[in-house]
Amino acid sequence: MKIRSAILVVAAASLAMWMAPGAIAADLTDVGYIDQAELANLPVFIMANRQLAIYKSQLEGQFNGQVKRARSDADKQQIAMQFQQQLNDKQREIVGPLFQRATYAIAAVSASRNLTVIVDKRVVIYGGQDITKDVEAVFASPQAVQPPAATPPPSEIGYVDQSVLDGVSKVQTANNTMNQFESTQRSIFSAKMATARSAGDKQQILQQYNKTISDKQDQLLKPLVDQTRAATSDVARKKNLLLVLDKADVLYGGTDITTDVQNELSK
Amino acid sequence: MSFRSSVVSLAGFLALAACAPNVHSSAIRGAGYIRLDEIIKHHPLYGQLSQLDDAIAAIGLQSVPRQVPLGASQIAAQTKELNQELQDAQVRANKILAQKQRDYENRENQAVSAALAAAGIHGSGAAAAAQMSGASSQQAAQAARAADSDLMAYQQNVIAQDSAASSTIAKQLQVQAAQEFRAKAEELTQNETDLSLRLTQSDAAARLAIKMRLSNLALDPAARKQAQDQLAAINAKESAQIDAQRNADAATLRAYRAELDRQTGDSIRNQVGAIHQQTRSKLEERRNEVGSQIRSLGAPAMPSNVPPDVQARIAQIHRQFIGEFRADAAKTIADYNATKSDLDRQFAALHGADVGATGAAGRELDALQKRRGELYQQMVAQVKNDARRLAKERGFSIVFSEIWSAAGGYDLTNQVIADMQGQHE
Repeated sequence: MKIRSAILVVAAASLAMWMAPGAIAADLTDVGYIDQAELANLPVFIMANRQLAIYKSQLEGQFNGQVKRARSDADKQQIAMQFQQQLNDKQREIVGPLFQRATYAIAAVSASRNLTVIVDKRVVIYGGQDITKDVEAVFASPQAVQPPAATPPPSEIGYVDQSVLDGVSKVQTANNTMNQFESTQRSIFSAKMATARSAGDKQQILQQYNKTISDKQDQLLKPLVDQTRAATSDVARKKNLLLVLDKADVLYGGTDITTDVQNELSK
Repeated sequence: MSFRSSVVSLAGFLALAACAPNVHSSAIRGAGYIRLDEIIKHHPLYGQLSQLDDAIAAIGLQSVPRQVPLGASQIAAQTKELNQELQDAQVRANKILAQKQRDYENRENQAVSAALAAAGIHGSGAAAAAQMSGASSQQAAQAARAADSDLMAYQQNVIAQDSAASSTIAKQLQVQAAQEFRAKAEELTQNETDLSLRLTQSDAAARLAIKMRLSNLALDPAARKQAQDQLAAINAKESAQIDAQRNADAATLRAYRAELDRQTGDSIRNQVGAIHQQTRSKLEERRNEVGSQIRSLGAPAMPSNVPPDVQARIAQIHRQFIGEFRADAAKTIADYNATKSDLDRQFAALHGADVGATGAAGRELDALQKRRGELYQQMVAQVKNDARRLAKERGFSIVFSEIWSAAGGYDLTNQVIADMQGQHE
């Protein structure tokens, strides 16, 4: 009986440890998410996109006309830039106010629910608070949506802007080298592929190609990726963050550690 | 349940409990995450996904456009040839235009003379016809001069356009040729390195044995010389094989260069031939267009002694000619526009745009990518379902996918993989 009692005590203790929620630290409950696809299906966004598509179509007609009259590639590039600028301006004009209202609506809902970060629904598999409907309601209300009075509270979810990190000199160099290597290998292997006589030969060439590219990636990019992730983890630990996401997935709030990671990488 | 089995069950649970993390600890805070890419690699359907990826990659490799490089001197020669053809086309066009003008005058004169004769106007009627013809000729001559000038300007524009395109092609194709050549050279260098490595490895044992013998201080001079000769022979044999390979590779490279040049020539002849054909059509249609403009000139002034009904008949003849020429012109303009579209497409292709070059391969690629996308989504959905169930069972508050980095939280990746594989065993 003594053994049985002892086992039961240990079991109870283990169960207590395993099952007691919040026994040691409070769970992360201040994360919200939005279904962006659902938001984009609001009639006002659909209409705005249609308007933009019509404008784009008109612009393309003008663009093609001007490009045909261009005398050099530089002229064509200049024309393309001008038209892209016009399209961007129109996009800002048509969709800009809608995005601003949506952002204010997200901020308002976020504040009312004490959320510190709002992410895209795609990256949340389980848990979190779905605020899509609330945001839609605020967005669709006839009243003006006020801008947030204060910045969102500090979050334990961080984010980095990958496009900024891609601009770090050594990352840029590695990416360029990899692109060059891939281009060269494509030429080599496409020439080999052209002389392949059987499906088996082609399969073998393809495997060699995949391995060549993969090996080069491991040699050239993997160390940098590992270094970036390690630097991110270090910064995250120093800032008492739990997890770090890509900026593209964070819609509001969160802790931006891009500059810190960039500085670490540039050392 | 016996006491023994209870103890075993409890022990198993305890072991599990001991291994399982406390998801509410300060390091985890109820937050989990998965590494989706890693899990996908262990998914039962990953083999199919890889096959699709391979098929997509294979099409990508097979459909790399085989563009042939062209030297600047070749471009210059082809441009000169093109210019000559354009000048010839201009001369031909001017001749045809002049002939057409004469035909037009004659036909109209004949028609007007016939109308005047039918109305009983002779003598002065012939003079009137000549006067009208003179007016038409004057107008036609002015129009012809304007047309000639217009055609000259147009021709210069076409030549400039073709020269610019040729120059761009030269630059692009030279770069591509250099890349292809470099790729081939790298491949051969790699082969040489591999051969050298293989030889070194295959002779390693013999070389080591000889070196060990040579390291023996008590070795007599004759035996030492023999060993040194053996070592030199091995080195010479390797060098000879590598040199032979290098010479063969150099020959291969020379042949490759010659083949590239030959392909360039073939390609440029085809491309420039097509340009010449299009250019001829372009010039001819432009001339026709100008001709139709000449023909659409207003009716010549009527002499005062021609009765109103005859004037009306002559005006009707003129309108008939105008109508015919306008119909011709409309058809010519439509054909011209079609040709122009073809030309634009061809110029775009020559400037490196992808214009249907992928063809059937492109359609197959689209279909494969669609299938790949659907399969991937299906796999992701299944992974997320498994992760969701595990998260719920283990009491997590939130679980993320596709995180950038983790300083805390709990990595559920391995559990999801084990769970998924367990379900499919």
